[in-house]
Amino acid sequence: MKIWLLSDYDHRKHLAFKSLLARFSAAFPDVPVEFSVKSRKSLWESLFAHLRDSKRNPLADVIEIPQNWTELFSRLGLIAELGARVEALGHKRFPEFILKELCRNDEKRVFSAPWWLEAPALFYRPQALKSAVADPERDLATWEGFRAALDRVGPPSRRRGAHALSVPGSSGSVSVADVLPRVWGRRGGLFSDDFNRATFTREETAGGIEDWLELAVSGKIELFSPDRFENGPRPPEECAFIMSSRKLGGRSGLKMLPYPGYPSGGGLMLVYNLSVSASAQDPEAAAAFVSWALENRNLSIFTESFGVFPCLKPVFEERLREERESGVYKRLFSAPELKPNIMVYPTAELLLERALWNLSMKISRRDYDREDLTRELIMAQGEADYLLSLY
Amino acid sequence: MRKNVKDAYAAAPGGAFYEGRDAFLRAALESVAGQFALDGASFYEFEEKSGLLRLRHRHACGVSFEHEEDLKPAPGSAVARALEALEPAVSKSAAGSFLFSPFRFDYCDPAGGRGVIPCFGLFRLERGPRRRGFSPAEAAKADAHLKSFLRDYYKAEFFSLNRKYDKNVAAITELTEVFATALRVRDSFRHILAGIQTYFGFDRVRLYLIDEKNRKLKGELSADIRGQIKSISYEEIPLEAGAHRFADIVLGRSSGAFMERYKDCVLYMPLSVQGVTIGLLIVDNLLSQQRIEPQELAMLKSFGGQIALAVDNARLFDKVEELSLYDELTKLPLRRYFNQRFQEEFYRAERFKQPLALIWADVDYFKEVNDTYGHQIGDKVLKEAGRVILSNLRKIDFPCRYGGDEIIILLPQATGEEARRLAQRLSQELAELRIPVPFSKARELRVTLSIGISTFPQDAATMDGLLEKADDALYWVKSHGRARIALYSEVAEERKKAETAGGIKDAPAS
Repeated sequence: MKIWLLSDYDHRKHLAFKSLLARFSAAFPDVPVEFSVKSRKSLWESLFAHLRDSKRNPLADVIEIPQNWTELFSRLGLIAELGARVEALGHKRFPEFILKELCRNDEKRVFSAPWWLEAPALFYRPQALKSAVADPERDLATWEGFRAALDRVGPPSRRRGAHALSVPGSSGSVSVADVLPRVWGRRGGLFSDDFNRATFTREETAGGIEDWLELAVSGKIELFSPDRFENGPRPPEECAFIMSSRKLGGRSGLKMLPYPGYPSGGGLMLVYNLSVSASAQDPEAAAAFVSWALENRNLSIFTESFGVFPCLKPVFEERLREERESGVYKRLFSAPELKPNIMVYPTAELLLERALWNLSMKISRRDYDREDLTRELIMAQGEADYLLSLY
Repeated sequence: MRKNVKDAYAAAPGGAFYEGRDAFLRAALESVAGQFALDGASFYEFEEKSGLLRLRHRHACGVSFEHEEDLKPAPGSAVARALEALEPAVSKSAAGSFLFSPFRFDYCDPAGGRGVIPCFGLFRLERGPRRRGFSPAEAAKADAHLKSFLRDYYKAEFFSLNRKYDKNVAAITELTEVFATALRVRDSFRHILAGIQTYFGFDRVRLYLIDEKNRKLKGELSADIRGQIKSISYEEIPLEAGAHRFADIVLGRSSGAFMERYKDCVLYMPLSVQGVTIGLLIVDNLLSQQRIEPQELAMLKSFGGQIALAVDNARLFDKVEELSLYDELTKLPLRRYFNQRFQEEFYRAERFKQPLALIWADVDYFKEVNDTYGHQIGDKVLKEAGRVILSNLRKIDFPCRYGGDEIIILLPQATGEEARRLAQRLSQELAELRIPVPFSKARELRVTLSIGISTFPQDAATMDGLLEKADDALYWVKSHGRARIALYSEVAEERKKAETAGGIKDAPAS
């Protein structure tokens, strides 16, 4: 059995999966299993390559996908129905907010099993904010408050390339993953509520994107990190703020707050699912692996290893109860929102990604102008609208 | 990961074979990490235009993985020096020790093109801050080890391009055959689209044809990435400048910034035959947003002429067929076509035990109309009769101009009564028509129909029998004053009564 795992900036995920597989092999020595870690882009290309030439480009039996790819690849016939094969899905043992997007258009059939989720949040170092922020809980609740604090707080280290804000997982250009939490914070989105049109240029959406781009324009975050080669990723102790959707270790001296701009709590959650290829040689065995991975203990160990939340309801609730920052997480999960699971959404993200790439290049060359953002978003929105009319 | 020689295209220094470039890179990183006791090893591609290094593969903590990261080397840094001099460089910082091993090679296009395809990048080897750094001797040794892998990487890239080239040659051969043999519109458009999808594998291929008469661009077929082909006949675009981007392309107007932006994943190809644009073929990778390779675009463009010819041939073939099967005056199928369909429908009715009705209609006094007002007026009468019939039938009904002014209509799954209702509607509509006759006293002409109906299986059990009975019923109507409708069953009943009453001479013969 072959498994494709989505690549992660945090090596701990790969290691956690490796040890999960070691436990699986110990429990089921007769089932040969191997895995490859694919980047998001490469996974996307491999799935389409299979559609183009299935013989030359076989799929793995089990594939990890972002939840909102489910609708697209189930409609393209690439992933198999799992509702009847995975007990947790059959009994809908997942929080309501996850189920809502999982079965948006078809309540009877389920094509992927929610596995783990992450919630973007703000971490700060109380020592570094001492003279700049009087009441972090209050002052960092809004984006404006956070932004003003960022201006007042200098980088804790004098080393070249040191910044007060660190965004682990964000590398190179500004990406969709960077801007969407802020877009959601402004109550924006890529599509209208009825999914009849794209809304990239809507004030809330464009404003959310602009807020994040402004961090790059003003030098608060660095694009294409030139010193990453020689200095590696910035260690957390060198930053006053970290925006991360992973739990950061208790020893790091950081405190946690909800993502700025969600004063009432809630926010965008990112969910990752396990799916079984429709062309799997042994779909029953592949589904059995998914069921095994979703068993309470296995899921708990795997997700704990790299600081994310499990999707299975009992494990999720237990984790929430035991969490050191459970108060903040309860606020985060009070009104969680997921990216819509509609057919054109993944492509719409690619269109926005391309726009953000162009803008990032302009920012890094220092010839960015606000007009560039408007133009890029108009183009991307036009294409997304066209796609909506086709699919 | 190891494969037998047959499936593989790249060899590692030890002689093992790997399935594809990614597996090969993975093996190279694992090998160098093991041999030089590294904490991490990464493979980057360098894009000279943007000056960015793109991470493709990484090996760390005993796991190999693909990852995406675009980094810009700082000017004057060890990386920048390595890329510039194409020599290995080392650096040491608080984060650890790093060795950068750059490479660059160009290889010729296997398709025989004049250009070279560059392959430029570097390996980044790393050790943690508490470990020893890279000595010059070790750096040279690691660089040499990687270079030995790169020689095979070169081969891998070349074989990969060669495979693409082979695919293109196969496409040229087979598509040419598809285009040359595609004759019938219904099948040929499908063949053309399926052929393009099979060899190029676009997200979608769409075909639009120009309807010159109505100045429209009309959708024909669309084939998706799964090979499913569906009609897009509901799409109609006015052929006016500015009405739609497709219309602008066909009219040769500027495609605009929007299309310029997506030129990598969409190709709009106007189809022209002898300088006349007959349609538009659109291929796109819009859903996947994947770039269509320039060679594929070039090849498809080179097929443009052949595709246009194939489409035009198919349309001409259909036109010729239409002329041989349909009556140009009434637009009704001719007797030859009717005989073929009659056989099919009769077989179906027999097999599925369904009723089948046959209407035989005749324009009353048609010979007199021709003799009195001339053939032009006679033609007008027939044309109107054809129009009235075609506008009143169901999709499954099949009319035919059987000869002269005789018209037959086949009504699958219809009973005698249902056939009578249709016949009444036709008679009434035709009787209400006023055909202008400018040179006559009345200035207009009114015509009526005589109609005989037979049904399967009540009236006859064979095709000939069904025709004969309908003709019988028609004869009876004609001999009873015309402008009426008669079911054979009623005629037979009447005849029986007449025979019982002592033999009436005008009762139809059995």
